[in-house]
Amino acid sequence: MKKRPPVNFRTSDLEKKSFLIIDDFGDMRGMIKGMLQGIGVTRLDVAANGKDAVGAMEAKRYDFILCDYNLGPGKNGQQVLEEARYRNLIGLGSVFIMITAENTLDMVMGAVEYEPDSYLTKPFTKDLLRVRLNKMVEKKNNLQDVERAVDRKDFEVALVLLDKKIAGKPRNLRELIKLKAELCFRAGDYQQAATILEGIIAEREMSWALLGLGKVHCAREDYEKARALFEKLLLQNERFTSAYDWLARTLQMLDRYEDAQEVLEKAVTLSPNAILRQQALGLLAIKNQDEETASKALAKAVKLGRHSVYKHPSVNASLAKIRVRMGAGREGMKILKNMLSEFPDSKEASLYAAMAECVIHSDAGDKDAAEASLQRSAELHEQIGLDAGPEAALEMVRVCDKLGDSDKAKNLLHTVVINNHSDDRLLRDVGKLMIELGLHSDPESYIEGIHKEVVNINNQGVELAKSGRLKQALDHFEEAAQGMPANKVVNLNAARVLIMNMKENGVGRGQLGRVKQYLERVRKLDDEDPGLRRVHAMYRQLSLQS
Amino acid sequence: MKFADVLASLIHDMKNSLGLVINTLEEFTADPEDARLDRKRIVALQQEAKRLNNHLIELLTLYKIENERISPHIEEWNVGDFLEELVIENRASAEAKKVQLEYSSDPELYGYFDEGLIRGVINNLLGNGLRYTSSRLLVSGGQEKGFLVLRVEDDGEGFPTEMLDVQAGGCQSDETTGEHTHLGLYFAGLVASMHRNKDRQGHISLSNGHTLGGGCFSLWLP
Repeated sequence: MKKRPPVNFRTSDLEKKSFLIIDDFGDMRGMIKGMLQGIGVTRLDVAANGKDAVGAMEAKRYDFILCDYNLGPGKNGQQVLEEARYRNLIGLGSVFIMITAENTLDMVMGAVEYEPDSYLTKPFTKDLLRVRLNKMVEKKNNLQDVERAVDRKDFEVALVLLDKKIAGKPRNLRELIKLKAELCFRAGDYQQAATILEGIIAEREMSWALLGLGKVHCAREDYEKARALFEKLLLQNERFTSAYDWLARTLQMLDRYEDAQEVLEKAVTLSPNAILRQQALGLLAIKNQDEETASKALAKAVKLGRHSVYKHPSVNASLAKIRVRMGAGREGMKILKNMLSEFPDSKEASLYAAMAECVIHSDAGDKDAAEASLQRSAELHEQIGLDAGPEAALEMVRVCDKLGDSDKAKNLLHTVVINNHSDDRLLRDVGKLMIELGLHSDPESYIEGIHKEVVNINNQGVELAKSGRLKQALDHFEEAAQGMPANKVVNLNAARVLIMNMKENGVGRGQLGRVKQYLERVRKLDDEDPGLRRVHAMYRQLSLQS
Repeated sequence: MKFADVLASLIHDMKNSLGLVINTLEEFTADPEDARLDRKRIVALQQEAKRLNNHLIELLTLYKIENERISPHIEEWNVGDFLEELVIENRASAEAKKVQLEYSSDPELYGYFDEGLIRGVINNLLGNGLRYTSSRLLVSGGQEKGFLVLRVEDDGEGFPTEMLDVQAGGCQSDETTGEHTHLGLYFAGLVASMHRNKDRQGHISLSNGHTLGGGCFSLWLP
């Protein structure tokens, strides 16, 4: 057996790094601080709670964050991590270490979106801390270029860099392969992601690989296969909570809404503090007309939302409506009032409050008040425009329909469908809503009709461009983008044809600006859209040449 | 062994540790002149505190296994890195007892296991090893018969024959002698058996005179 020489880093490696210690106990903060100073760390700040920690990260970029999971009242460690990563307060190159009091299994499994880079179990010694920190530095240094590319969402470059490292067969080969599968997935290369994951599974059925392959099946709309995989995963490990989330999502795509709810309910009993899961359960229970469950889940989601980046006014508003419907009118209005102070200066919150009030007044038979709320909702919706998102538009549909304005409701629906013709999940919700409100006798063919229309518009434009009639193609897509400003495919095509035109006929400042505008629209809708990255690469190349 | 027996036995052991801690602290505080603290006794304190901590983790884990039917969270770990950390965690205790504590593993060796669970088991084994070894303690990782084998071995007297017999009986003995060591076996065996890969299951084995001549505890993980 070979023995590996101890890793002796130059102390300067850690000396140069900046640290933030987050712990609610002064003694603990002092102890960790002492350990770090003993290791040679000089750039070091402390925070006593989640709020101060976020404030510190807003003011300064840290290389290392050592955060205790339990932080007393307010945010817990997981919520600090979520906010830091979600808001890009720390880059991928930063190391987030979660300090926990005991066996961390439950917490690891409970996390939905983000996992820390490493866990440390209390009590730990200075020597252990030093070794762990050095390992993390080594790891991050090794992946620095890849992570920089990922930060830019430039997955193609990240994959090229990663492949070079993999070819050298380093010690952490398997870690790199796992990362590669993840990046292939994010880049939209499902074929390659599947090949890698299947290779790993053939050797050993690792939970993360099964989950990853299930996600690939989902992305390819092969929902039966995805369902089978998630179910298998849960059979092996019934506490793997993110598998429940994905299984529930898949079951909804298979129109098995009640089964999906059952799955989420199980996950929520195992790990009740994941806000996104409680939100999902609440909304699903509303679809299933299970007011009891919806009310419970949404109340929990609102409570968790107080300290979370994932809070959203639509959740509070849904809770208010449910409570009113269940007979707790005063409580419902109070929830709306609290919501407005929780989201100060948010037009979106005002919109959701107005829409909810409209429904509540209308149910109470107060027609005048309902009309006034509708008026206000419409104004706000107009002001916010596309930023409100299709979910707000669908809620507006509901409100308009309730107050008898079915023409407006249908118009709104049409707008939602043409702008989102490729989003299956959303279109399903649209279909369900149309049936519920009785807005159309055959929603499926109605949606299919619009879908075909949009596909045709895109195909026509592409044909024009292919046959060299760039000017016509340009007019065609720019007009389409005006009518469907939130349609990703149309906006990307408009940008693409503009670029083709500039390649042919010379670069113009105005046209470059318009390309940027179209790309910005898509980025706002989905900053990881694979098409967006491709067109953006074309744009970059062109602006470099000019 | 039933959970209730395990509980009683663990509490008994922890009470002993705490008693020792309290007595030593009393000695310190009773004599105000004794300002220069005796290093040897401090190390003893530290060791008992660690022992307590290990037991509490063990207890918590057993409770979870018993009540929540936890399944292990299997991840891929570099065995050398993992063992290095364990050696560093126990280095101070080893130095105080003048025991040479080392690890060895192929730096390219990867293993699949629940890090938290196995860490608990090995920490216990190292704690016990420090008690029974004479001068050396080695923790090693290797690949044998398609299993990852983690071994803790020493150059002490080795395991008594009745313990080597116990393992043949699958840790079912409720003998009162050496109760605690049996408990360690029970815990390690339970954690090992929770590790499965396809149709293979983890297990433990005890032997004497492996490479250092003393007791050798092996954890076999599929």
